[in-house]
Amino acid sequence: MSIGALMGIFLGVALVNNLVFSGFLGICPFLGVSRKVDMAFGMGCAVTFVITVSGVVTWLIVHGILAPVGTAIGQPHALDFLKYVAFILVIASMVQLVEMYLKKFFPPLYTAFGVFLPLITTNCAILGTCLYIDMKPETQSLLNAAIYAFGGGIGFMVAITIMAGIREHIRFSDVPKCLQGAGITLLVAAILALAFTGFTGIGK
Amino acid sequence: MAEENGSNLQQFSDGVLANNPVLVQLLGMCPTLAVTNSLENALVMGMAATFVVVMSNVITSLLRNLIKPHVRILIFTLTIATFVTIADLALKAYMFEVSQKLGAFVPLIIVNCMIICRAEVVAIKNGVGRSLADALGIGLGFTIALSILGIVREILGSGSLLNFQILPDAFVDGHSWVIMVLPPGAFLTLGAVVGIVNQIRASRSKGGAA
Amino acid sequence: MKKFIDESWLVLVLGIVFACLLAATQTTLQAKIDDNRARALNNAIAEVVPGLADKEELEVDGNQVFKCLDESGGLVGWAVKASGSGFIDRITLVAGLSADGGAIIGIKVIEHVETPGLGNKIDAGNPFPEQFTGKSAGLPLEVVKQTPQKPNDIQAITGATYSSAYVTDIVNDVITRIRPQLAEHR
Repeated sequence: MSIGALMGIFLGVALVNNLVFSGFLGICPFLGVSRKVDMAFGMGCAVTFVITVSGVVTWLIVHGILAPVGTAIGQPHALDFLKYVAFILVIASMVQLVEMYLKKFFPPLYTAFGVFLPLITTNCAILGTCLYIDMKPETQSLLNAAIYAFGGGIGFMVAITIMAGIREHIRFSDVPKCLQGAGITLLVAAILALAFTGFTGIGK
Repeated sequence: MAEENGSNLQQFSDGVLANNPVLVQLLGMCPTLAVTNSLENALVMGMAATFVVVMSNVITSLLRNLIKPHVRILIFTLTIATFVTIADLALKAYMFEVSQKLGAFVPLIIVNCMIICRAEVVAIKNGVGRSLADALGIGLGFTIALSILGIVREILGSGSLLNFQILPDAFVDGHSWVIMVLPPGAFLTLGAVVGIVNQIRASRSKGGAA
Repeated sequence: MKKFIDESWLVLVLGIVFACLLAATQTTLQAKIDDNRARALNNAIAEVVPGLADKEELEVDGNQVFKCLDESGGLVGWAVKASGSGFIDRITLVAGLSADGGAIIGIKVIEHVETPGLGNKIDAGNPFPEQFTGKSAGLPLEVVKQTPQKPNDIQAITGATYSSAYVTDIVNDVITRIRPQLAEHR
């Protein structure tokens, strides 16, 4: 597959159909972890890693196990009912691995993340990306799936880091009490989503 | 939030109002933004999520004395994933068009934090009656929150409600606020609703504090 | 080993029980789900090729093509399912061709996520797709912004030039790539 087409897939999911601003995925951590830029960037990196690995592993499970076994018994989609269970178990395991790795090699980072690390499992951006890779016709090859997953993660990281940058500035503004926290973050996200709409049409 | 004391009815109403999963606890934001572009989508999503949280809570509660602490998250996850798969298959069979519109957000109920939260906080420690009341309350609260957004976004964005056109043609034909059914409108509406809810809660606690 | 079994027997039991439950659900409902999927496509084909009583499904160069027949088995037209990129994401449509392959007898977009209020006017019930009915399939179609001058001109939707162009591209692909291959399946 040409580099151009691969770049197309990458930019398509990182910018045009950004997971947060147009796919509505990963909103909970987007609201929760975007207070400071270094935390946001760290979360973005962790999520990118988990998404990419999970995307590849779930692709392998579908194409390497579920589909071939189904075809062998004459019904290609026979084992589809196991997909969701398999996907979430893979994601949970990947997050466990990341947790153990950080705890052993980067203890201060591990403590800084606190409860947000296991919560990466419930980040819908990860499960969502695995589901989309399974559904979309253009991600039926392993390389495309990996690029798509990686692009999704990068897009999430960009979104959450931009939001953190803005929120650090807003700290010194006079936000009405009822909008502090989630309220103002959502309104800023509305403007950012509007800005990202400018990326549509890059498709061709 | 009382767990030992208080009645099942209290548990139920807490889930709908004081502890509303979307507007107070700020959980389950992703489907809240994604499927509220029409009231029909919001209601079906609410129904599906309620089914899953009810089954999850009831089963967890029935098995609560058998579930060992180390594996409890795994068991919660397995249970939730199973019932979401069932809900997804049922929707594809009996409400095909809506399930197409909901897309990947039906399986994404699996990672809706509010469901696993109820299992961890309520179902593992309480009897079936209490867990069921809690699940119904949370489910109803979720559905109501989604419906509020669905109503606002559909009326302003498409001029209709449940696919019945209710605003005049002059508004609908190319002049409706299309942005409301697109992502920026979703963020905007949720931000506004959360702001209003916070304002109501703040003035209530000021008034009732004495 | 005993400790492992002690901790996780419930997980294994539940795993098996749930797997059986899911398999049972899928088996019961699968037929209905397949029907639902087929229905959308069949409805579109019936709308695009009037007078059809029966169809034969073929695969032509990677596309699903339906040979549409009337009650006596005579050929009334062809229905081609085609998709391509749209402005937002993929667009899938059914294009109807006359029995001799010489004219387009209609198109119906069956899947798209184009912008509501603008790009979604490629849907049935709007003037845009109706323009394709009766166009000759001899020349590729061109999208123009003003009133069409030539017989193979298609007027774009105001404010949705890209969506209009993408749909026309898909139709052009059908008439240049698929149409010549239909003769051998007559």
